[in-house]
Amino acid sequence: MNPLDSHTTVQVERLKKSFGAVQAVVDVSFEVYPGEVFGLLGPNGAGKTTSIRMMLDIFRPDAGRVAVFGGPMDEAKKNRIGYMPEERGLYRDLRLEPTLVYLATLKGLSEPAAKGEVTGWLKRLDLYEHRSKRIQELSKGMQQKAQLIATLAHSPDLLVVDEPFSGLDPLNTRLVKQIIQEQADAGKTVVMSTHQMYQVEAMCNRIVLIDRGHSVLYGRVDEIKRRFAGHAVSVAGSGDFAHVPGVLEARPPGENGAWRLALQPGAEPRDLLRTLASRPDVSIDRFEVAEASLDDIFITVVQGQRAEASDA
Amino acid sequence: MRKAWLVARHEYLTMVRKRSFALATLAFPVLIAAFLALTIFLALGRSDDRPLGYVDLAGVLTDEARQAGAADDAFIPFASEAAALAALQAGRIQAYYLLPAGYRESGAVQLTALSEAPPDSAQRAFDAMLRASLLAGQPLAVQQRLADGVNLTVRSIDGRREFSQSNFINLLLPFAAGFFFVYAVLSSAGYLLQAVATEKENRTVEIMATTLSPDHLIAGKAAGLLAVALTQLAVWVAALVLGLAVGAALEPALRAVEVPWTLLAVILLYFLPSFALIGGMMIAIGSVFSEMQQGQQVAGILNLLFMAPFFVLIVLFANPDGPMAVGMTLFPTTSFLTVLIRWGLTTIPAWQLALSWLLLTLSAAASVWAAARIYRAGMLHYGQRLSGPAIRAALRGQAPADELARGHTSS
Repeated sequence: MNPLDSHTTVQVERLKKSFGAVQAVVDVSFEVYPGEVFGLLGPNGAGKTTSIRMMLDIFRPDAGRVAVFGGPMDEAKKNRIGYMPEERGLYRDLRLEPTLVYLATLKGLSEPAAKGEVTGWLKRLDLYEHRSKRIQELSKGMQQKAQLIATLAHSPDLLVVDEPFSGLDPLNTRLVKQIIQEQADAGKTVVMSTHQMYQVEAMCNRIVLIDRGHSVLYGRVDEIKRRFAGHAVSVAGSGDFAHVPGVLEARPPGENGAWRLALQPGAEPRDLLRTLASRPDVSIDRFEVAEASLDDIFITVVQGQRAEASDA
Repeated sequence: MRKAWLVARHEYLTMVRKRSFALATLAFPVLIAAFLALTIFLALGRSDDRPLGYVDLAGVLTDEARQAGAADDAFIPFASEAAALAALQAGRIQAYYLLPAGYRESGAVQLTALSEAPPDSAQRAFDAMLRASLLAGQPLAVQQRLADGVNLTVRSIDGRREFSQSNFINLLLPFAAGFFFVYAVLSSAGYLLQAVATEKENRTVEIMATTLSPDHLIAGKAAGLLAVALTQLAVWVAALVLGLAVGAALEPALRAVEVPWTLLAVILLYFLPSFALIGGMMIAIGSVFSEMQQGQQVAGILNLLFMAPFFVLIVLFANPDGPMAVGMTLFPTTSFLTVLIRWGLTTIPAWQLALSWLLLTLSAAASVWAAARIYRAGMLHYGQRLSGPAIRAALRGQAPADELARGHTSS
């Protein structure tokens, strides 16, 4: 990793964090640049949220280094950050608009400016007519949108969103996606943590995959997909495809009537074809190398890591 | 500091707009108003505009005394008891006094009324007229002195305290003040407990942590809720002053009330550290427990520590300089209330006041310091209470070791 770079929004270098005997983060590094949507991926308990919390100075790392906007976190930089945590919540017994205005003023806006920004966002997210309601009276989806307003109202330069689509219907998911993309297009930096791989595939320029506290995959999404080309195959036919050597995961036939098989690291499609052809309980109508989706790559890398760990 | 100010303003406005605050704050003035209204109602209900009559068979009462006293037409002289009785039965007078011929020897006076005796004020006016008549011929100063009677003032040796019969109400004031000030401190500290738990219960802690420092957040909350306490006190003091002013017009005993400036100074000196002491404790409790209800139970027990002097009130009244009184004066949680209770009963030695204030202030500083550390450790501790080792680690300034390992790490 380069020395701390002032053109990089976030630099995270070899972070380590333990809670008692539990090593939540062992070795995580990544950089995030202005104008990109950066995906933070990983299974549950991998250390994503702990990494985000160290990045935002909520926790101090045991080792490693974090630089935000070219240096350590300080009070002034907090005004340039919008964070939507996974543990969501707003003051439930307070009214929507004054609460959002209060939070925006805490982020450095004057009260009139905060009112103006909040009104604009309330209108855009169809919450304006609910502005005088207490937050607990709003639906879960509305509260989620209110949380997004609290994250965006002060026009942050760095937006950190943890599972931004959870609890949203498809319409609102599309709206939130659009807003996140707009932020990136406007030159803001977006760090997004999610389990929804298709969203990552559609939105993220680059990703880091964290597993058991380690960054195990890092780089541009298109490069990673190229690197993992040939790690999945599509097979139409009959028989048990789930328990075949070299196959990590077999997804039953979808609309196209073909099984999708994610391959173990090192496994080659031609070896798999040979194995399948030799099995009397399997018949093959069609066999083709599939472009690896992030889902396949996620499974390949995470399960591959675990297999290696158990072998060791 | 702007952020701490914004938090303070937010906490203040949120709290004073709550119905529970309005009820707690206005209950006392409403009580005073109700008491005054009752007094006025009773006074008006008993008023009778009709004059009183008198029959002076002893030849004591003089016209000068009658004119110098109450309104000229308040007393009507009658030549005989039969004439006075006729006037009474005709309803022209409400009652009449009879000074028999042997009054100078016996001092006996008879009052005749149909159903109710005339009010105290009318009787006092008749007494004044009678005294003035008896003293006719004496120098004016002597008349005045005898009319006023004796005002005994008890003064302590060092002159710091005195108690006069005419201002007996000043004995009650420290006691009443003690009750209200301690109540205000406890209730606003209760709000603090609620305010600290709010961020945890609402899951807003992480947003706040990436917005401002824990120190600014907690300082803002404490300042806002201190302002809430002061608002409550201001309303109560204003109600009390207004009540005394109105009451003094109706009840002469209340006119003797003096502003207890020394006591006010003591209250001011003790109020802030007492608030800081219990405030720090409440912040720590709010940070340790995940559920508001658990925190309130512990806070309830803690409140007893502050209210303890009320439970041993009889002992303090019986022996305001005894070992228990001195011990409670020096013990930080009980010092404020004990000093106020003892204030009306004895002269608290200066060394006790100084030492008690010092101990209170040191405890308050320790309480705030510990609260800030525990708050930082507990702020991200969702759904479970902060463990003993985690609290000890926080107080030592270390990262709480097991804090997040047991179920908090969400990814």
